[in-house]
Amino acid sequence: MKHLVHLVGVVLFPCVPLPAHAADDFSFDLSTYAAPSAFELHGYAELRQEYQSLDTDSPLYRLNFAGSGRDALNRSIAALELSGSYRNGDSRIAATWHGEQQHDELADHGAGRFYELYLAHQPDAATTVEVGKRALKWGKGYAWNPVGFIERPKDPNDPELSREGYVIAGADFIHSRGGDLHTIAFTPVLLPVTAAVNDDFGQATGLNAAAKLYLLYRDIDIDLLWLSDGSRPGRLGVDFSTNLAPNFEIHGEYAYILDHQQKVLDAGTMTTRSYDAHSWLLGLRYLSEREATWIVEYYHDDRGYSAAQMQDFLSRVDAAAEAMLPQLRSIGQAGYTRPAAMQDYLYLRVAQKDPFDILYLTPALTAIGNLDDGSWSLTPELLYTGIDDLELRLRATFLHGARLSEFGAKPNDNRFELRLRYSF
Amino acid sequence: MARTLITLILLSLAPLAHAIDAAELLRQVDRNLQPDSYEMYRKLINIEPDGRRKEFVLYSVKKGGDKVLALFLDPPSEKGRSTLRLGDNMWLYIPNVGKPLRITSLQSVIGGVFNNADILRVDFAAEYAAEGVDESADGYTLKLKAKNSTVAYDRLVMQVDKKHQVPVTIAAYAASGMLIKTLRYSQMKDFGDGRLRPSVLETDSPLYQDYKSVMIYASIKTRDLPDEVFSLNYMGRVDDLRGK
Repeated sequence: MKHLVHLVGVVLFPCVPLPAHAADDFSFDLSTYAAPSAFELHGYAELRQEYQSLDTDSPLYRLNFAGSGRDALNRSIAALELSGSYRNGDSRIAATWHGEQQHDELADHGAGRFYELYLAHQPDAATTVEVGKRALKWGKGYAWNPVGFIERPKDPNDPELSREGYVIAGADFIHSRGGDLHTIAFTPVLLPVTAAVNDDFGQATGLNAAAKLYLLYRDIDIDLLWLSDGSRPGRLGVDFSTNLAPNFEIHGEYAYILDHQQKVLDAGTMTTRSYDAHSWLLGLRYLSEREATWIVEYYHDDRGYSAAQMQDFLSRVDAAAEAMLPQLRSIGQAGYTRPAAMQDYLYLRVAQKDPFDILYLTPALTAIGNLDDGSWSLTPELLYTGIDDLELRLRATFLHGARLSEFGAKPNDNRFELRLRYSF
Repeated sequence: MARTLITLILLSLAPLAHAIDAAELLRQVDRNLQPDSYEMYRKLINIEPDGRRKEFVLYSVKKGGDKVLALFLDPPSEKGRSTLRLGDNMWLYIPNVGKPLRITSLQSVIGGVFNNADILRVDFAAEYAAEGVDESADGYTLKLKAKNSTVAYDRLVMQVDKKHQVPVTIAAYAASGMLIKTLRYSQMKDFGDGRLRPSVLETDSPLYQDYKSVMIYASIKTRDLPDEVFSLNYMGRVDDLRGK
């Protein structure tokens, strides 16, 4: 197996020399690191090749690919992400820019935008003030974050991808005192919404306020969170994380959303119903003696659709005349076809580090189950990071479920992806 | 009769006196290896059986017996990652993820033979009780027992250089008695402030046949930092400490 991995590396990266050194060459030139430059730039370039086997009989194929005549789709994606900063005294300007260009048999398109661009001023270690576009990520969940009040939703199938932030003015105050209540940190945030700024945060324009109070109390991480009623309905939240044993962590999140407005199809008409909603998550992370990491999370969201509501939407897509499809596509984008659109999910990920003594190889298996309709997705993957600055990831995703279930209705049956990332 | 009684009392106190010496020696080893509060640059190298190497450069700060924060400076794929240890608690911050995740001392954020406890090592005396010490012509053999179950190794047997009172080798054992790894210190170097200590730490493990990991210390300087630096909210901006 080890030889196979090295062979794959050599075949895929024939131009990259595999460094071999004398075992006792332990030099370290500190001058490169000890005097950091005021300006720093790093990032990655990425190539992805995807193959999707399309399910021509599925409702969402009809919604998105009707008339294409395709039963498979090959997509090539090139991405570039640059992160840079400039420091001057106690202040820093930092930015992350992300751009992608993709091509498949149906369309070409590309886009680039700043994920972050902000000024930070830190007069002392305990105080930071930030103004600009910032991706704040709140919560303890791995796949979902009910208390991620001011962030864009993450993809549970790839939760570690970077995400675009919002324009904010925020601060961070930290106080460490030792004892049972070891650390207290307070993070207030202002988030404006206008026609030109953060216009996708919510419908109503205005100034939104949010805050997070972090406590490290008796080895338990606790956050109390709040978002004012404004562009989004007001909400309160709490999360926690702690170790039950050195290799066994438990975490959870709970959010109470006031007066949530759900857009739902009722007898073929789009209506809005209002209700107070609960959303919560409970998760466990376990590290086995053989260094397999298990992550299990249960996620519930009152704001999601029930199995009957989802079936109703998918049935209408099935039965609609072609002229109705654009309208249904728009209704889908408003809720029904977004990720994790229903109410109850189970997430499981198992990742085995360095199997068979092969350093830097991590096979993993991710399963996401929709507990409302019994559909699921299964994603095996292989990650290899054994070549300097290169990361190779091969993954496949298989979808299963009844025709009118969330994963069964997707336009594809499976998807294969090879990703090559070069960091610099 | 009185002389016999005094002899018996002294004999009964002898093991206690021995234990006190062992604890003091352990504290001295800690003081000789690193200041109470410091900043440090080091390189970690994982070496595979065929000689291929992967290198990591870390900037670390420590305060008191149980607070350590480390930032990855290299390779580029790891740049900006930081790890924090507060006593038994450990977190990993990945810039893309944007928030700290709890990790354990048994894991390794870099792969290879060093685990997180080796990379974010606090004072030995903070984690281990000295159970005894044997003296020979060349040095001492310290026998250490973990203070609780959260410590990465249940027992350590530390060979200590008599002249410099720094470790020469450390054998780390699991509670089952199995040898987990052996750590070997070498290449004495003057780090300033009169601190003469090994600059290279090599480790191998029966669990990773023919693999080896090496830690090279390039700079260790006394630096006192506010407690607030050792907090989750600070993990995304550790780089601001460098060069100040």
